[in-house]
Amino acid sequence: MSGFRKSIVAMLAPSLGLIAIFVLVPIALTIWLAFTKWSSQTPFSTATFIGFDNFREIFGTSSVGRDFKGAMVNTALYSLLSIALLLPLSVLFGMLIHQAELRGANILRTILFATYMVPMIAVALVFSKLYSPTEGPFNQILSWVGIGPQPWLSSPDTALVSVVLLNVWQQVGYFTILIIAGLTQIPHSIYEAARMDGARGPSLFGFITLPLLKRTLLFSAVIALINAVQVFEPVALITQGGPVGSTNVMTYHIRRVGIERAQGGLGSAMSVTLLLALVVTVTAVFALARREDRR
Amino acid sequence: MSVPATASSPGASSPAWRAILYLLMIGIAVASAFPLVWMVLSSLKTPAEAMQTPPVWIPGTPTLDAYTKVSDLISVGRSFANSAVIAGITTAGILVTSLMAGYAFTKYRFRYREVLFAITIATMFLPPIVTLIPLYRLVGSIGLNASLAGVILPNLANAFGIFLMRQFIAGVPDELVEAARLDGASEFRIVFTIVAPLVAPALAALALFAFVYHWNSYLWPLTVLQGNTNDYPIVISLARLLSYNRSAVNTNLVMAGATLAVLPPLILFVFLQRFFVRTITATGMGGQ
Repeated sequence: MSGFRKSIVAMLAPSLGLIAIFVLVPIALTIWLAFTKWSSQTPFSTATFIGFDNFREIFGTSSVGRDFKGAMVNTALYSLLSIALLLPLSVLFGMLIHQAELRGANILRTILFATYMVPMIAVALVFSKLYSPTEGPFNQILSWVGIGPQPWLSSPDTALVSVVLLNVWQQVGYFTILIIAGLTQIPHSIYEAARMDGARGPSLFGFITLPLLKRTLLFSAVIALINAVQVFEPVALITQGGPVGSTNVMTYHIRRVGIERAQGGLGSAMSVTLLLALVVTVTAVFALARREDRR
Repeated sequence: MSVPATASSPGASSPAWRAILYLLMIGIAVASAFPLVWMVLSSLKTPAEAMQTPPVWIPGTPTLDAYTKVSDLISVGRSFANSAVIAGITTAGILVTSLMAGYAFTKYRFRYREVLFAITIATMFLPPIVTLIPLYRLVGSIGLNASLAGVILPNLANAFGIFLMRQFIAGVPDELVEAARLDGASEFRIVFTIVAPLVAPALAALALFAFVYHWNSYLWPLTVLQGNTNDYPIVISLARLLSYNRSAVNTNLVMAGATLAVLPPLILFVFLQRFFVRTITATGMGGQ
């Protein structure tokens, strides 16, 4: 091997070797194990091939199927709600910080982004107290404006939304920074030209800011989706998937089935389904965006 | 990042409108800071105050009792040491592996370079749960379950670090690298003594991202450590306060624990936030 070849290998081996062993091999294993019956407490060699049985079971009508489909629906709802709140809020906050030229805007940016540094476990603990129906400050604040007490995490109707709100609180600062990065790419001269043509507030936003932010928004939506799929701590710590399965989301459910109940084959089939669902969604979103670009 | 005030800027300018914007800004700041402020205030309450309805906002007789009590409950010192070891070693590993890979991907030309890079980048978007089950078994089969080594080893390299380093090392002139080679410097010497100092701000940002991410990380350590409480990092030790979380009388304890866990990442952020913000702005992403 030439010296040049040797240095390529030496430079890349540590990182790509680790990624291959601890990311790519596990992906391949997940796909293979999805077609086997296997206890995750035993070596891989004990896995026995059973074809599509795991997939039939998780999409079937048994309790395994019901729980899994419930987790898929909950995760989809959770992701949609998170994106629907995070994107408009981060655009509003980003414009407020970057375009409105207010004194102290940098302080707001710091406060917003600081929440992103807080460990999710601490966020979950704090919000479990804020949401407390009796001694919690949220219901107290609502009572000041004449709204009755809400059950928050303790009712199946409001628990998932309450976890979404906690997630939005933590992540909105991060997405605001992404939007600000997008806003800085829009040249001032475009706004100036539009003003000369008589465009004002809302039309500047609708015809310039929003279209030119499209790539940033698309990217933010994808990141928000991938983050949303990972929600785990508040569910594991506070709701345990309840009440009545209303917060049973994919990361929590897959870990419970595949690790805690050691049903490694079933859990892997769920992981593969999740991965496929994500790939299809992200591809569809980009394809739609491209088609609209061409129009 | 603030833009100089000019008449032609997109910002609106009537005084009433500006007053509304200021109110909005203050409202957002208050809403954003409120949970953390409430956390700290609650950690200073007495048990009696913690369970009052309607809630007590400002503790009447602030006390640090909850902090001493929580330290005994979850061995805070040991948990902090474990978190520091996990986040510290992982961060060091990510810096070294990312620097080397970033250098190789920008300063060497070889077949399949773009394909290799694309595959690496694709792993950045993979939710960890997809590989959790086999990874748990894989780490177990090399005898690293229930150990700090098992928590650390799989995370010593990641796609985000490689991506970030490639972005910034691309800005290092090729002539500089060529000159060093002519002087007889080895490739490793070039990476660590010539390239590294030139991308120091990006390395600082990566170090902060990695440290905070792995300080806060919960799912993987929880899965690998399997109840080995001796090796628990602070975020997992905190979860053990759950049994105390059920009763309002212990709110001050739980909030004291949460405050302790939040401090290291938040302090790092306050001092080094310009690196965080600059890197996200430059690359359009951040985190793992």
